[in-house]
Amino acid sequence: MRDEEIDAALGKAARVPREVPAELLNRIADAIEPTLQPVRTLPPTWVLAGGLVLSSAAVALLGAARAGFQGVEALSVPARLLIFGAITLLACTAAVQLVAEWIPGSSRRLSPGGLLALASVTLCGAFALLFHDYRIEHFVSAGLTCLATGLLHAAPAALLAWWWLRRGWVVNAVSAGLAAGVLGGLAGVTVLELHCTDFHALHVLVWHTLVVPTSGALGAFAGWAMRER
Amino acid sequence: MDMDGNLEELMAGYQAGDFVAARSLIARLSPQLHRFFDAQSRNPADADDLLQEAWLRIHRARHTYRRERPLLPWIYAIARRVRVDHYRRQVRTANHEQRWEQLDVEVASALPDTPRADDLEALLAPLSESQREVLEMLKVAGMSLEEVARATSCSVGAVKQKVHRAYEKLRQTMSLPELKRSGGVP
Repeated sequence: MRDEEIDAALGKAARVPREVPAELLNRIADAIEPTLQPVRTLPPTWVLAGGLVLSSAAVALLGAARAGFQGVEALSVPARLLIFGAITLLACTAAVQLVAEWIPGSSRRLSPGGLLALASVTLCGAFALLFHDYRIEHFVSAGLTCLATGLLHAAPAALLAWWWLRRGWVVNAVSAGLAAGVLGGLAGVTVLELHCTDFHALHVLVWHTLVVPTSGALGAFAGWAMRER
Repeated sequence: MDMDGNLEELMAGYQAGDFVAARSLIARLSPQLHRFFDAQSRNPADADDLLQEAWLRIHRARHTYRRERPLLPWIYAIARRVRVDHYRRQVRTANHEQRWEQLDVEVASALPDTPRADDLEALLAPLSESQREVLEMLKVAGMSLEEVARATSCSVGAVKQKVHRAYEKLRQTMSLPELKRSGGVP
């Protein structure tokens, strides 16, 4: 059997009209009529995504201002450009993805899982290029401090993103939570790159990068919990 | 508002608070949405409830529709959510620890025993949940691959793959002599 024959069979079956009882249609129309008022539509995607990037940057800068900018001061100019350029591009991608999660029927170039993988791999790649001191000193204790600092800043950034998009309509709360978590995680990584002076390759590769997947996982869990509530 | 206007114009009227446009949109889209829910439902009476629920959610989310974009992916993304939530509730209520995929198999096997007004549901019955919804959107709603991808939150490539697999399965089932005799195949 050829595809054209299957097409024809499906087309023929699909053309059979489906009647919906008029009573049901009237009931639906009557249910929406009392609250039918003009609505203000959402701003364009670039406005929403721009707001998300700016709010995340504000959280990161405030966090670093409180903790100190020792990390960025110790980095070379090319290293600054590579790290903060990569984070900015990832934040823009995450913001657009997050906006898409809040508007039904939006096109998605990446799945939330793909976004998480892209962010983690890009950060690992940038860090691997820049840091080559593979000695291990206070690996766990220093690492846990950085992870906690990153997550502490990821949470307000993600919550701020959720608040900024509050007029949207979440299609999938788990995916939306994951995307918000990734964006928050990038804010957390930004704080660490501005503040942390531990340039041991394994420390940066493992603990700084880990902020993003951990924050993403926490965001997905929060989305799941909201959906199940 | 012109009752015969295109869907996007009617939706713009609905957003502007025009009841005639809203009513017209409900009348135009409800048959295909009802069919969408009916094809996925174990209990045909659920389709009525799901249709009402879908319109209530569409009403609450109407400000998120953007006028320059096609309407159907937006509508079906919400309808899909309604359906998923419905089954999740059902599964939770029944306290069955079944996975969604297992539920699909049950739905598919239950469909041939259910009397139907037309045979599209019977044709699509052997397919998985995701394959069935993609073909419903393509063949009944007349959406493009890009629009189906938007409605299902996946890539065009993934939609093409689902269609390809669905056609392979349909090729096998529609080649059966009983189906040919019953007029399911031209």
